[in-house]
Amino acid sequence: MKVRGDRAGYLEAWLYNHAEAARRSLWRRARAPGQTLILVAVLGFILALPAYLWLLLDNARALSEGVDHEPRIALYLDLDGDEMLSAVAAQIDALPGVAEVAAIGADEALAAYRASLPDPGLLDWLEENPLPAIIEVLPRERSPEALAAMERQLAALLPEATVVSDHEWVRQLAALHAAGLRVLVLVSALLALGITLILAVASAAELRERHEEIAISRISGATDRFLRRPSLYGGLVLGLGGGLFSLILLGLGVVLTRPPVEEAATAFGIPFTFTGPQARIGLMLLGAGLLLGWTGARLGSAAALRD
Amino acid sequence: MIRLHRVTKRFACGTEALRNVSLRVDAGALAFLTGPSGAGKSTLLRLIARLERPTRGRIMVNGLDLGSLARRREPQFRRNIGLVFQDHRLLFDRPVHANVALPLEILGYRRTEARKRVRAALDKVGLLQKENAQPQTLSAGEQQRVGIARAIVHRPALLLADEPTGNLDPELSREIIQLFLDFNRVGMTALIASHNLGLISALGRPVLHLENGRLEARHVTEPRSGG
Repeated sequence: MKVRGDRAGYLEAWLYNHAEAARRSLWRRARAPGQTLILVAVLGFILALPAYLWLLLDNARALSEGVDHEPRIALYLDLDGDEMLSAVAAQIDALPGVAEVAAIGADEALAAYRASLPDPGLLDWLEENPLPAIIEVLPRERSPEALAAMERQLAALLPEATVVSDHEWVRQLAALHAAGLRVLVLVSALLALGITLILAVASAAELRERHEEIAISRISGATDRFLRRPSLYGGLVLGLGGGLFSLILLGLGVVLTRPPVEEAATAFGIPFTFTGPQARIGLMLLGAGLLLGWTGARLGSAAALRD
Repeated sequence: MIRLHRVTKRFACGTEALRNVSLRVDAGALAFLTGPSGAGKSTLLRLIARLERPTRGRIMVNGLDLGSLARRREPQFRRNIGLVFQDHRLLFDRPVHANVALPLEILGYRRTEARKRVRAALDKVGLLQKENAQPQTLSAGEQQRVGIARAIVHRPALLLADEPTGNLDPELSREIIQLFLDFNRVGMTALIASHNLGLISALGRPVLHLENGRLEARHVTEPRSGG
């Protein structure tokens, strides 16, 4: 039983079959506009939601970076005389990774404190200056890790000094951001799983509606691959539609969010521009839509064709 | 072309549709399969087309042992068989020509070539003028002929027909049987299940009689002798 002539070449037949399957799936989707629109909308919501949340997180990070926080490390030292202080300051300044060093002598500190008081005479009863000398170190790098390393380095260099740094809150913010991202990834994964199953059920239902055509095609020698091909194209069509719809939703979200957020930032005295999604995000949404659509159709058709 | 060796088919419910059936139909032959309804005619055809598997025994079709045919090879195997059903099983969501074109689509024919073959097949069954009609607008006989056109459009080596004249009046039945004789004349092996004894006994073709899952005549050697 040899394959007879007059057939298209393998590649041509393959292309033709694919084009035909794509045309049929489009036609089928067009004939069920209600269901198609609902699936596209659901997929669009599910894609847009994590993308929007990610955008908010990303902007929150940019906002925190916009705040002028120069994470200084303060060293409190019990030193006699300004020469000693300058020598120590010079020593620290020579360390790699140090951007700036400011030394404030104990007398200078007391004078500044006295000037800030409403009645400078208040401090006259002090027998000696209780304030330590201060060296403020501004590290070149501002990541929590670099700050912690610098802190350790300074503590090793001056074991008698008390090292205090204000980088805690940078670390807290970074930790919050990481936690937010983790939650986002988990939520996205669950949403993706949910929509994949919804698409699988829809695809299986569509194939079951075609059961007579499938039975006849099987008898005529159709392979499973041939039978599920229109469903896979249908899944890609839904995925593309969902991806595009999610882009529209995300754009709408940005337009609606930008003015109040920027206004709030201004109220806090932080100059800030809300950044919209980059092209990369758009491509990722379209890609995710196509992938979810295809996967759902693949799972659904596998289940329906097994019956 | 077809060889069955001691084939038994028992369904899950316990019914034995075929018992120890042995049969041989040579390439180029045409044979009728008769017997009362429930005798196992449909089951026998379905076993040959591998729509069912035997409980016991061996089936060879065109030199291929179906017992060792992998599931993924089944589609390829079926592409050389044409099947005609009593209820013709047309798809009512598409016109006649699309129904007939289905096997060609699966085989990957070019659209123009497929169109040509569809027209040739419809011409053969006398329905060329109905190629754009919807199946539900056709009479029962016409629908059956569309089903036959679909079964032979890809020129299978083997044609299996299950009560193709079951619902038709004697005049239409004769026309349908004549179609099968014509296909056989050009080399198609055919096995036709029918309980219309009056019609087929007059043709002088081999008749296999099934009764209670048992077969009487067993070997159809007669190559086509015109008719």
